[in-house]
Amino acid sequence: MATENKVNKKKVSTYKIVQIVLGVLFGGYIVWRLYQILIANPVYGPDTWLRFAIAGIILGSVYALVAIGYTLVYGILHMINFAHGDIMMIGAFGGYFVFEALKNISTPTVADPKLNFLNAHPIVSVILAFVVGVSVAALSGYFLERIAYRPLRNAPRLVPLISAIGASIFLENAAMLMFGAQRRDFTNPVVLTRGNGWEIPVGGGTVILTYTGVLTFVLSIVILVLLYLLVQRTRMGRAMRAVAENKNVAALMGINVDGIISQTFILSGGLAGAAGVMWGIHLGLVYYFLGFIPGIKAFTSAVLGGIGNLPGAMLGGLFLGGVESLGPAVLGIDFQLKDVLAFGILVLVLIFRPTGILGEVLSEEKV
Amino acid sequence: MKTQIKSSLNAGITFGIVSLFLYLIGFTTTASQIIQNLFKLKPASIVLGMDSLVFSFSLFIGLIGVWAGVNQARSQKGQPFGTVLMSATLTGLTHGLIVALVAYITGSLNASGVKMNTYLSQLLPASVKLFLFNQTSVLGALSQLAFLTLTALLGGAVTYGLTVSNVFGKLADAWHSLWKQVNSVPAVARFRASPYFSSVMYGLLLLVMLLVPLRVGQYWNYTLGTVGIYVLLGLGLNIVVGLAGLLNLGYVAFFAIGAYTVALLTSPAPHGLVWNFWLVLPLGILAATLVGVLLVVPVLRMRGDYLAIVTLGFGEIIRILSKSDALTWLTGGPKGVNNVGGPVLFGWVFNDVGYLYLIFLSVLLAIFVTRRLQNSRVGRAWESMREDETVSRAMGINILRHKVLAFAIGAAFAGLGGVLFAARNQFTGPEDHNMMVSINVLSAVIVGGMGSIPGVIAGAFVLKGLPEILRELENYRVLAFATLLVVMMLVRPAGILPASRRKFEHEKGRAVPGEEGAK
Repeated sequence: MATENKVNKKKVSTYKIVQIVLGVLFGGYIVWRLYQILIANPVYGPDTWLRFAIAGIILGSVYALVAIGYTLVYGILHMINFAHGDIMMIGAFGGYFVFEALKNISTPTVADPKLNFLNAHPIVSVILAFVVGVSVAALSGYFLERIAYRPLRNAPRLVPLISAIGASIFLENAAMLMFGAQRRDFTNPVVLTRGNGWEIPVGGGTVILTYTGVLTFVLSIVILVLLYLLVQRTRMGRAMRAVAENKNVAALMGINVDGIISQTFILSGGLAGAAGVMWGIHLGLVYYFLGFIPGIKAFTSAVLGGIGNLPGAMLGGLFLGGVESLGPAVLGIDFQLKDVLAFGILVLVLIFRPTGILGEVLSEEKV
Repeated sequence: MKTQIKSSLNAGITFGIVSLFLYLIGFTTTASQIIQNLFKLKPASIVLGMDSLVFSFSLFIGLIGVWAGVNQARSQKGQPFGTVLMSATLTGLTHGLIVALVAYITGSLNASGVKMNTYLSQLLPASVKLFLFNQTSVLGALSQLAFLTLTALLGGAVTYGLTVSNVFGKLADAWHSLWKQVNSVPAVARFRASPYFSSVMYGLLLLVMLLVPLRVGQYWNYTLGTVGIYVLLGLGLNIVVGLAGLLNLGYVAFFAIGAYTVALLTSPAPHGLVWNFWLVLPLGILAATLVGVLLVVPVLRMRGDYLAIVTLGFGEIIRILSKSDALTWLTGGPKGVNNVGGPVLFGWVFNDVGYLYLIFLSVLLAIFVTRRLQNSRVGRAWESMREDETVSRAMGINILRHKVLAFAIGAAFAGLGGVLFAARNQFTGPEDHNMMVSINVLSAVIVGGMGSIPGVIAGAFVLKGLPEILRELENYRVLAFATLLVVMMLVRPAGILPASRRKFEHEKGRAVPGEEGAK
């Protein structure tokens, strides 16, 4: 440890030097690995790389949706909504139950007497699943804020965070007790069977661009664009930005601060719900603990892009998805360790660039 | 009038949701069984013309109904009798309507043979029948409605009576005056003021700790040992979170390192190193401390939320690494390490009593260290750092050094806990070190009272000891902790047995703004 009378400035500069040295070493290693696996000693063909990239982008778009929720809430309340991933889980269950219910409604035709509603009207079914999933999740977001966060608005900072952790564990366990601990198969309409898709010949093999993946990606991009317009162009978005800037002044300008905070939670809950339904449709399993790991990864994406920054969260999500699916191959480590990679990135970003890729310059107070 | 109707409806809806939630998680059935056992009623015997389980269930749901009435009546303090009664009844009616509706729907679905428990796993046919008092769905729903309304009415009336006659106020006064009288007896007062008072109390406690392990048997020794290890972990986390104010959600990582150190160095399985336990014990503590220091150095500049997430990520990294294929050669992978060696003292192989003594000894040591630190210059520096980092830096406190010290000592306690845990269980594996351990310890610290040693001990007993006594509630344990965490933060953020300085701060902080949100 440094002695006490050392000047502060000097410490910062040593820290910077360490940062630069580590950065150069790490960058050099990646370049060397890339050279190794692409040119010197190729293990995977171009089709495999494309497969990894597609999987990464699809996963990343889901992370982006969840990350936006973290960013919106953090921007306004400066707190991590720890239960956000579990709201995603609630949305996934919402979609799951819609599909299960529609599966049991039979709409027999002459050609196929066993036809059910889910397969007869797949588009309506998917829309219904999203509507229900999003509304349930948005509602949970609203109640979460009302019950667990609003009374603690002026409390010391640790208090709402602990309350959020409690809320997160509560939601997980309530779901486990209600729906059971087993993993359930998310039954899609036959049209959207997982693994089916357009086949693209690349290099030596074919790459399948799955329908569910395309649905997930396109839908999340549409939602993200709509959200960006909502925040930048509408009255409600302006009020949200004002509250994020300064609550007291916003209140003086006639903005209902509590109302805006509620709306923010509804909005972020809805986004998490949509992400949850996509998760179910694309990856096909729902269970009570589903939200935890994507939640932390989405938080990582939000931090990566600069927390409080909307485009940053989207980019961060896509980047993290890419890293997760390409990273193990690039770095030559076990695929089991992809979660370690994601957490490692979180730690590295927080240490070396806590403002994120696009982040505003935060004062040390906020970090 | 209008506001009263609105508040009654609100309360009714809230209670309706709570009752339905308890129904959906299967708690109504479990609670009925617990009541049945409590009164030692035989299954399928008849009590008051009802099956004993149905009787227990009506007792349980009746309590909720009464509670709804009491709650509503208490919010109507100072209103005339009629208004209070009407308000309570309206609450009960709303509550009953919601419950009856769901009871009817689930009942008729159940009667027509739909298997609801494929989706809602707790709605077994028996539970649904019980929720309808074992009646048909129409009759059962109507009885629910009537029963909940009547109990709410009863609760309202009783509350009104108690409020008007001020029974509780008088009882409290009587208790206070009695306590005062006892204390004013010269002998008692002299004894309480004498310097030997606390020594005598501690002596008694020590005696109990010496005798208990010999008397209670193997099962309770095991349980008490677990509680003791949690007290140890709690004391360590208390230094990090309670004193220094650094929220560490990856505390289990240090626990895991202690456990793996002792496991890998004393077990014959993966490496064949069979070292002496007494040699490995300090090594485990040292390893955990070292990792604590290594972890804290990069995160020194972070505060609050970021630190929480980074430490959470770190804990997960340790767990994933410990069970990954890549490190199986080192850690034994997902199967863990068996045959961990235990302590031997002068030829005596430690049994359950020995382990319990060892754990008690460690806890005492930890309490001693914590107390000395808390009241020292270092402890005061931690507390000032917790309150305001910038100001305490301006006061000349070396923030970096104190953060590292807090993490290192916290990690050392956790390492000791891990060593004892692995040695006692003779096994350690990745699933012993999942995130729930961190959360449990954190809950113990927070529920008991951050920064307070008796609080941590009380918290560990509530979290690890109570569930052993109430075995039927095993499934609801984690849910209850989670609820407790939130409720504790809303109602009493300083904890059950708060540290005096912290209590003062929270009360001071609450009095000024927070009122408008706290309804």
